[in-house]
Amino acid sequence: MKTANHRANVRKLIIMAVVVLLVAAAYLLVEVNPKYFSFVMSLRIPKLIVMLIAAFAIGGASIVFQSVINNTIVTPCLLGMNSLYTLIHTAVVFAAGSGSILAVNANVSFAVDLVIMGVAATLIYGYLFKKTNHNVLYVLLIGTVLTSLFGSIQSTLTRVMDPNEYDTLLTTLVASFSNVNSEIIIFSLVVLAVIIFVLRKDLALLDVLTLGKAQAINLGVDYDRSIRRLLLGVTLAIAVATAVVGPISFMGLIVANLSRQLLKTYRHSQLILGSVFFGMITLVAGQLIVEHVYSYSIPISVFITVGGGIYFLYLLLTKRRI
Amino acid sequence: MKVTELTKRYDGKTVVNGVSFEIPRGKVLSLIGPNGAGKSTVMGIISRLIARDNGLVDFEGQDISKWKSKELSKRLAILTQSNQIQMKLTVRELVTFGRFPYSGGHTTAEDKAIVDQALAYMELEEFQDRFIDELSGGQRQRAMIAMVIAQDTEYVLLDEPTNNLDIYHATNMMKIVRRLCDELGKTVILVLHEINYAAFYSDYICAFVDGEIASFGTVKEVMTQETLSRIYKVDFEIMEIEGKPLSIYY
Repeated sequence: MKTANHRANVRKLIIMAVVVLLVAAAYLLVEVNPKYFSFVMSLRIPKLIVMLIAAFAIGGASIVFQSVINNTIVTPCLLGMNSLYTLIHTAVVFAAGSGSILAVNANVSFAVDLVIMGVAATLIYGYLFKKTNHNVLYVLLIGTVLTSLFGSIQSTLTRVMDPNEYDTLLTTLVASFSNVNSEIIIFSLVVLAVIIFVLRKDLALLDVLTLGKAQAINLGVDYDRSIRRLLLGVTLAIAVATAVVGPISFMGLIVANLSRQLLKTYRHSQLILGSVFFGMITLVAGQLIVEHVYSYSIPISVFITVGGGIYFLYLLLTKRRI
Repeated sequence: MKVTELTKRYDGKTVVNGVSFEIPRGKVLSLIGPNGAGKSTVMGIISRLIARDNGLVDFEGQDISKWKSKELSKRLAILTQSNQIQMKLTVRELVTFGRFPYSGGHTTAEDKAIVDQALAYMELEEFQDRFIDELSGGQRQRAMIAMVIAQDTEYVLLDEPTNNLDIYHATNMMKIVRRLCDELGKTVILVLHEINYAAFYSDYICAFVDGEIASFGTVKEVMTQETLSRIYKVDFEIMEIEGKPLSIYY
């Protein structure tokens, strides 16, 4: 069924893809001194790739997550998934010591984090959704509490650490935009590819899943199984994003809702693409501005958090139903 | 379709207790009873939405839990009360979902024809490109029914289809239920609060009290002063209109 809306959306997505390419090119080429071209590229290309990975993971995971729990103002980050990842990473390094292979080798450390994250998040959030019966207000409330809880435990751990150990670890402990974790680019790409491959059938069911549990079962979908698998995928994608660029709250909320507003469709193939493109544009253009206009004085996460916070309020105020 | 000795407990409280009945084919069966009598739970169990603790649900010679969900979805359609769809979905797109059990996400020309028929049957053609969340309650309910029609199942299960509808739309809904049975030959099972809708539009009534069947039979058998007074614990007066027993309670 190719409706007018469908064709219009394809056009919008193509325009967005072009904008992504333009912004990416601008990020690489603005203010490059030709003398140091290859040096500048060796700095900028990994950073660009990392931002694209993060945008892909957050943009995709946010739409999937919203559809799974059937609400558009909740995102994985609002429920503390990225705080959980930061906590796990800190705890692993804390337990193993900064000299162990778990802390020194970024890829090994990432792999261990991912496994723990998958198990912990499935248990915590699976229980949370079941207990609250998917009541969004409770989910949001408990999620907020969990975010601070994970954050507090994490900062307690860092305070208890040996100061020298902490000092050497500080840079590798938590990634950020000025300190992207480019060592694990290939690993991240592999993880994302595997997630998409394993979940391809469940992703195709997303359109039906959003009709709600009763309708999905009515139409012959194994609802609980698909939801469990998709939630695990969301968790791992958020872990990837947090591992490469650190926690950015509100980013998922902005891009997922912009995509929904722009495309006005139920087709997840389009919604996810839109969200991913919005994410890429936001991150890369934002970083471009931060680096060249504000010369690094304000980190991009500040813009995203402030902008996202305002947008969140706007959504709360304008939505007829939460 | 036949259920035997169904039992369901929530937190140690038995809400359905040893319920057995057979669903008459090609007829309209209404489940009635006071709040908390277990009628919606029974409906949930026979539609595989709620897990039972005990008992059997025999569907065409096989227990319902042994059926493949996909196969079942070609024979049995369910419509529940909670239909808050958050997505931007047009009426036509919603009705097309009814074809999902047959062709997944890729609709064929045959699917399209069936969707057209369903839309026409529910007189929704002029609304087909409107978004679901822009419709009135009655129109939305009709769109959901059109989806069920597109699903093309022999059995249709409706959980309180007249809930939140005004008298005009509720009565229309009941007329549609009758047409689903008489014109399309479907077996319709519905949970109803309004006794007189059950009396006027169904063939059989199954009345529940405290998780057990208080009375099961044809409309005339169940709609008696003694039975209804016993079930609802208020005084009833039975009148006859158009040859059908209707009740007045006070």
